[in-house]
Amino acid sequence: MTINSLNFLLFFVVIYFFYNFPLREKTTAQNWLLLISSYIFYGIANWKMIPLLLCSTLIFYILGILISTSSEKKSSLFTTTGVVAGIGLLLYFKYLNFFIESFSTLFNSIGLKANWGTFNIILPLGISFFTFRLISYIIETYRGKIEPTRDFVVFANYIAFFPTIISGPIDRPNNFIPQLEKKRTFNYNLTVDGFRQILWGMFKKMVIADNLAIFINNTWSDIPNQSGSTLIITSILYSIQMYTDFSGYSDMAIGVGKILGFRITKNFNYPFFARNVAEYWRNWHISLTSWLTDYVFMPLNVKFRNLGKQGLILAIVINMVIVGLWHGANWTYGAFGLYHGLLFIPLIISGAFFKKKKLKTTKLGLPTLNDFFKILGTFTLVTIGLIIFRSENIHQLNNYISGLLNLTDFFTTTDYSKIKPIIPFILIMFIIEWRKKDSEFALSSLGREWHFSLRWIMYYMILFSIFWLSGKEQQFIYFQF
Amino acid sequence: MGNNETLSQVQNIFRDELDNENIVLTEETTANDIEEWDSLTHIMLVVAIEKHFKIKFTSKEILSWKNVFGMIENITSKQG
Repeated sequence: MTINSLNFLLFFVVIYFFYNFPLREKTTAQNWLLLISSYIFYGIANWKMIPLLLCSTLIFYILGILISTSSEKKSSLFTTTGVVAGIGLLLYFKYLNFFIESFSTLFNSIGLKANWGTFNIILPLGISFFTFRLISYIIETYRGKIEPTRDFVVFANYIAFFPTIISGPIDRPNNFIPQLEKKRTFNYNLTVDGFRQILWGMFKKMVIADNLAIFINNTWSDIPNQSGSTLIITSILYSIQMYTDFSGYSDMAIGVGKILGFRITKNFNYPFFARNVAEYWRNWHISLTSWLTDYVFMPLNVKFRNLGKQGLILAIVINMVIVGLWHGANWTYGAFGLYHGLLFIPLIISGAFFKKKKLKTTKLGLPTLNDFFKILGTFTLVTIGLIIFRSENIHQLNNYISGLLNLTDFFTTTDYSKIKPIIPFILIMFIIEWRKKDSEFALSSLGREWHFSLRWIMYYMILFSIFWLSGKEQQFIYFQF
Repeated sequence: MGNNETLSQVQNIFRDELDNENIVLTEETTANDIEEWDSLTHIMLVVAIEKHFKIKFTSKEILSWKNVFGMIENITSKQG
């Protein structure tokens, strides 16, 4: 059940009715309702994985209490156990077969016969997201930043909250658990803002991402027969698809959260307006990058603190490779992370990495020429990175890059008729996002100073564009991670 | 050395490292109160503090500070 489907709408209407009428302001009962709904939502995707979700939740709930009530030595031991268990879950379900295959290939290539069989392991949906929440909870408890909750329903909701369990954002316990514990009163402004955010997310996902998906998939399924120009255009469109798909999903999840009275952590902050790769990563999939900053990069940086800039570079490169591999068990993801890690080096050496200058606009509301070229350069680097990301293996990556650089028949005609109608909508989206880049999401403040009738005409136009132009429903890209 | 004296020395380190003479630290100050204090400059500050006071923090101590008070407490306990 995807968040932009009719089934989800019906599911949500039922929850919303009970949540806001019979159970209004009854926090404990509301939390039970949310928990049952979250497990139904997760169970519809794959009911066989419910015991795994429930058991890991229970174990980490107990670990949290043990960490806060034990001596320093024992609490450190419980934390290590939790971190190892969390990473172990991920390694088993996501990476075990990958490691078996990789080592088997390695041994065979050096003449040692290894014919190890792989296991039939089904990847539980959302595992990369909920294990990160579990780990975050025990580390924050160990560091003394939070008091573990004694309310199991609250904790289980934090792990399984249905708008975010499958694809994030990865909320931190410090932000989310207190919201579950306190009484939630109906907030008109927050609810309306939630609807706006869902509308904007649906527009990005259904009008742009889903329509681009078919064209991009066709190109990628037949790389050798594509011209260089088509491969370049496809790579640019893929960057746009990735952004509109994932940020669209995040907007919808955050919007649903707002309607239920929750403020879910922000996941995107206009990353395509970044002027260097460091800025891009501060604004792309923020909940993942900030998680890794706190629990991987910072401890490494602390460890390497006396090595100066070399220590910082080492910490960043390791961190970025982990960012890459988090997406899945494939060397191309590792290569994607390494590529980005290496892009940080010139920024660290030049000092640009440490500067956080606010983006200024000219009197016409445009970026300065200098910033414009930096934005364009960053977008190009990110687009190259996403070719690595999208490739299924190094061979396919090689084909794509060599096809892209092949100047013979560079401009061979390709049928763009399916995506031509979408181009104006992509431009409109970027113009609106540029104009509203100081807002939490573009639609939150657009038209607020207009007459209400004009504002509603705009909302209806967006809604019509969704009904009129929405592409064939595509799975969200980030569901597979 | 009392907490106030330590706080004043730490404040000078913050001003030097973050290149901002207007920084005023209290024990309740957190990274959210100072624009230039982020995860990167944090490490620069730690290295400078360790060097100045000739002490060594553990990783857990560095990652557990909630505000300047935690930092000052650690410094004074290590000097004591």
